[in-house]
Amino acid sequence: MISKLQGKNFWLIVIAAVLAAFPLFSDSRTMTILLTQIFIFSILAMSYDILLGYTGIVSFGHAMFFGVGAYTTAVILDRMEPTLGMFLLSIAAGMVIAGIISFIAGLLTLRLKSHFYAMFTLALSGLFLVAAEKWRTVTNGNDGFTFRAPEFFQDRTMFYLTALICLILVYLLLSRFVASPMGRVLIAVRENEQRTASLGYKTLHYKVTASVVAGIFASLAGSLYSVSLRFVNTSVMTMDITLDALLMTIIGGVGTLIGPILGATVIEFAQHYLSGLARDYPIFERWIIFFGIVYILAVIFFPQGIVGWFRQIRAKRSGKRAAAIKAKQPVLKAKAEENG
Amino acid sequence: MDLLLNLTVNGLATGMLIFLLAAGLTLIFGLMSVLNFAHGGLFAWGAFSGVFFYGVTGSFLISVIGAVLTGVVLGFITEKLIIKPVYGNHVQQILITLGFMLVLSEMLKVVFGPNQIAAKTPDYLSGSWEAGGVILIKYRLFIILVGLLVFAVVQFILKRTKIGLVVRAGVINKEMVQALGIDINKVFLYVFMAGAGLAALAGALMAPYSGVVYAEMGLEFAILAFIVVVIGGMGSFPGSLLAAILVGLAGSYMAYFVPSLSLAVNMILMAVVLIFRPQGLFTAKEA
Repeated sequence: MISKLQGKNFWLIVIAAVLAAFPLFSDSRTMTILLTQIFIFSILAMSYDILLGYTGIVSFGHAMFFGVGAYTTAVILDRMEPTLGMFLLSIAAGMVIAGIISFIAGLLTLRLKSHFYAMFTLALSGLFLVAAEKWRTVTNGNDGFTFRAPEFFQDRTMFYLTALICLILVYLLLSRFVASPMGRVLIAVRENEQRTASLGYKTLHYKVTASVVAGIFASLAGSLYSVSLRFVNTSVMTMDITLDALLMTIIGGVGTLIGPILGATVIEFAQHYLSGLARDYPIFERWIIFFGIVYILAVIFFPQGIVGWFRQIRAKRSGKRAAAIKAKQPVLKAKAEENG
Repeated sequence: MDLLLNLTVNGLATGMLIFLLAAGLTLIFGLMSVLNFAHGGLFAWGAFSGVFFYGVTGSFLISVIGAVLTGVVLGFITEKLIIKPVYGNHVQQILITLGFMLVLSEMLKVVFGPNQIAAKTPDYLSGSWEAGGVILIKYRLFIILVGLLVFAVVQFILKRTKIGLVVRAGVINKEMVQALGIDINKVFLYVFMAGAGLAALAGALMAPYSGVVYAEMGLEFAILAFIVVVIGGMGSFPGSLLAAILVGLAGSYMAYFVPSLSLAVNMILMAVVLIFRPQGLFTAKEA
């Protein structure tokens, strides 16, 4: 099993290296921007999966944390001078604010059934959207405002690399987090909350922690997003962002960290090409419908997403091989689940 | 005085519309603990089809009936295609109904075009009455009347008829009802269709009230309905009426006196209820 893990890590390192070297080979501006976008949304989707996939909590307010990060960074860089130090400070500030909000939201609703967190975050993010529209002195409403990014990011490639490094760091941090005793308890909560509670774990503490971790990293994604555009408006708070995170996580595969990254890649590429097609075929202007239908079908027939599907195939194959040798399928199946 | 009365009428009218939406939500939740996030989509469909039928037939009554029928048919489709397959899995239900909400509101844009559409008030309901120096807008009073009527009818059905008895029993203990040989899934389907019809009715009445219909209105109103369901207590029908009136009035007064807080006040109300009475303000039952 250790060698298997190393094999997986080996391929991840190869992919990361190829992505890091990508600007050397290609100077395609659209591709660089698209990939940067994918890195940022991968962070968002991973943070969402900490809630949905690992703890079994549905949040409909993820755009709120994303928007808090985006606005905090934009406002600080706009009001202060745009330096790297300020950029880091603004990220930290966004994370702290998002952490506080997600802590309160979690504390209020996670004692109750799962519906409450979904409803409360939906309503709270609606409130934040209205606040962003109305609080014009800070946000400039729906028109938004442009700001200067730090000198360092004037070069697209530098920002591309920064986003990639952030993605790798968040991936490593979160994979450490979900493998920690804390993360194991979260998975236990997802599988059977009552049983976990009866084992003596204070499940509320764990669920609130998951909520805070998810909020913090969503805010980081928002900070990066606003710097990548050098512009922010209320669209960062809309339901679309939450839906993106949701789609990416579900289609990629819940309960894994690779899944959301895969999902973000698939969805961003699909969005890119479908909106390109929309210029020729007007029906593609409503491409969200296709996503909605794919999403519904995925929830019904395909709840484990792309990663889950691959795992099934692999488990089947190795299962067959094992069956041919010794008929040891249950053990292998248990192992396949353990990998998750 | 004049102002206060107008604000009250306004708040009551909005409250009644939210109530029509929340009534279906709360009964569906009470019966099968399905939280239907697509409810706002059904509401928006009601609004659009109401405007459409009004434009075609020119009769407000027919347009409302057409909208309700659209809602009932959509409710049937939703239950059969969307809720049934993931029955019993809460997380999947929440996810799938939200996805369907997305499809419903995008379908609106495909069928009726992406722009907002103006909605007319019928002649006999537009204008206002003046009584003793107080101006009362007819259409708002009409909405309040319809809301109270619906409440009375549904309350009558729930309390005085056999199907109502089954529904109330199902809310309290679903397994027991099943054990008595009643097909609870069929009851649920009917309640779901009725709830969808009420949501569409709310949409059809909302259209002339706000003057325009747009695809995003579904989500906006659904948020208010969720707040109402939390405040009133999940599964409580009278609770949803009282909470809807509370939310409507709070919104109306706040929008006038402290406009920046008009949405926040409902959130604060909801937060307070969640802290102190998570089972809802108007229910005795433990959550």
